[in-house]
Parts: sequence; structure tokens; C-alpha cells
Amino acid sequence: MNSRTWMVVSLLITCLVAGFALAEVFAMTKPKIEQQKIDATNSALGQVLATAQSFKEITKDSLWYGLNQSGAKTGIVIRSARRGYGGPVPVLVGLDLAGRIVGLKVASPAEGLKETPGLGLKATEDWFARQFVGLDSAIALKQEGGTIDAISGATITSRAVARGVAQAISKYSEHLKP
Amino acid sequence: MTRTKPSRLSYLTTGIIKENPTLILMIGLCPTLATTTSARDALGMSAAASFVLILSNVVISLVRKFIQPSIRIPIFIIIISTFVTIIDYALQAYQPSLYRVLGVFVPLIVVNCIILGRAEAFAYNHGVFDSFLDGLGNSLGFTLLLVVMGSVREFFAAGTIFGKVVTPAWYRSAPMLFMIFPPGAFFLIGILKALVIKLKLDKG
Repeated sequence: MNSRTWMVVSLLITCLVAGFALAEVFAMTKPKIEQQKIDATNSALGQVLATAQSFKEITKDSLWYGLNQSGAKTGIVIRSARRGYGGPVPVLVGLDLAGRIVGLKVASPAEGLKETPGLGLKATEDWFARQFVGLDSAIALKQEGGTIDAISGATITSRAVARGVAQAISKYSEHLKP
Repeated sequence: MTRTKPSRLSYLTTGIIKENPTLILMIGLCPTLATTTSARDALGMSAAASFVLILSNVVISLVRKFIQPSIRIPIFIIIISTFVTIIDYALQAYQPSLYRVLGVFVPLIVVNCIILGRAEAFAYNHGVFDSFLDGLGNSLGFTLLLVVMGSVREFFAAGTIFGKVVTPAWYRSAPMLFMIFPPGAFFLIGILKALVIKLKLDKG
């Protein structure tokens, strides 16, 4: 075999071996990867709507029904994201059937939050999320006529969370019927 | 012909301190600066990069006789990116929390200069076992620097090391946050590099 042919053949062999190896690894890890994604979503949903035993996805990645053991609806979970300071601020909101907020979770940096550490990143802290629990309307910062204390130095992030929640509730309120 | 052959052991050790890829040769700086925000992330990044570096060194050395010089780079890259994709899937499947933190830096191992650099400078013209030692030595050097940087940055920015609290509460209430930002990384690697130069000058 002359060197020019060998050049082509050796590249071809390399690509074939690499391709087969990757196909094998992909097939091996695919079910596991999908399971991990489902587990991560379910555990986040469970944190904001503790009354539900299982969740049914209604709109992909943005609306879930929480179901109890007998399959009756106990509430809904909505994901929404308004623009904050460094990018979108994804929040998960759990609502009971009366439309009251029962749980709120702001995504962590590992889940795509890009706010400033020490300032906007404090939106992930418990005290901030707890302010929303129990509210059903007029969800806004104090300086905008609501009841939520903004994080000092991070008004933009705080507003993104409050507006994200308010928008989520008004958009999906018809899903609150049992 | 009395050219002295470097000893096996030196293949292993030069990469750790004397020719530390990041601190002395100054290659592979992107992952070094970007993933050392905490000791745990730094260790995760170095483990993933070490896996790719050692295996690509071994495989390239194994097939080096069949690779024509003119197409060696594309073949190196195919071999390296295959291993990177494998570790990418494996992390997603078995270490999802680490994967979420490392994120985009896992695929970027493909263009980590250390790996291509060792393939080109060492594995392409050395035996399999020597290449393995060289890969291991460079991995240890890379890991050492990343974990040191990760620990120092985490210590100053969060008051913890590997998530363990090591500073009093008053410090953690107002830590030196800038250490986890990019300037902190440049600052720290500058200090480390200066220390190395000082040590070298003192030795003469």
C-alpha cells in the first residue's frame, strides 16, 4: 500500500473505531442519563409542592400537576424565568388549589443561575423564598407596592423573581381547578 | 554512543514539579483559571483531564508506528475527543452534580493544550509504558496545581476547604469574595508563578 492510500485508510480506521466505541458508550449511559434528569426534576418539584406524591408534566419544562396517592390533583408547579442581572432567573413555584404559593425555589448556579455571588445570588437563600409563601396575589417588591423585601444591592434580581412568580401565576391560573 | 537515556522515574517526576505543565510551561491555563473556584470542582476537573491525558498518551503511543507524520494531528484529535466524549457521558450518568458544575469545561478538555502537547512531544515517539508514566506525571502536576488553587480560592472566598468550615464565623460573614471571580484566579496564579521564579533564582 503506498503512503497516500495508507493516509486515507488509517484515518478511516481511526474514525470507525472511535465511532463504534462512542456508540457503545452512548447506548450504555443513555438510560442512566435520562433517569438522572427525571430524578433531578422530581426532587425539585417535590421541594416546592410537598403535598404531591407524583407529578404529571402538562407543558414541557414549565407546568406540572401534583397528584396525591389516589391520583387527585393537589396543586400545580410552574417554572418561569424573567431576566435578572446576569441572565434569566429560573424559579419553580408550587401553588395549592386555592392559588396560594406553598413553595418557591430559585435555581442554583449549577442549574443555570448567573447572578452575582454575595448580591443577586442571595436570591437562592431560604429567607428570601419564604417571603412568597402564603401569598396569592399582589406579588411585588415593597417599592412597587407589594410585600416582598428586596435583597439589598440586588433589586434587579429580586424584581426578576417577583415578576417571574406573578407572571407564572397569571398565565396558568386556569389550571388551578381540581 | 554514550548518550545517557533518561531514567524511567524521571518521566514520571518531571511533569509534577520541574516541568509542571501549567505552572512552568504555562499551558492549559483556561481550565486552570476557570474551574478552580472550589477545591472539589478543581479535583473533578483534574480527574477528568487526567483520565483523558493518560489514556490518550497510551493509545497514541500504541499506534504511533502506523500514524503518518502529515496526518498525526487529526488522528490525535480524534483519539482525544473520543475519550473526552466517553468521560462526558460517564459524568452525566454517574456524577450529575459534578457534571452540572463542570458543564462546558468537560467538552473543552479536547482542546486542553497539555493533552495535545504530551501526545505530540512525548507519546508520538516513546514507548507505551514510558508514555503512561509521562501522562501520569503530567496529570499529577496538573492535579496538584488545580487542587492548590481551588483550595486557596475556596478558603478566601467562602472560608471552607473541600466544603469543610475552617475559618471563624466572623470571617465567613464577610469573606474575600473576589477570590472566586476571574481576577482572583489571575491574582493567585501570578503569585504562584512569582514564587516559583523566586525559588529558581535562589537555587541559582
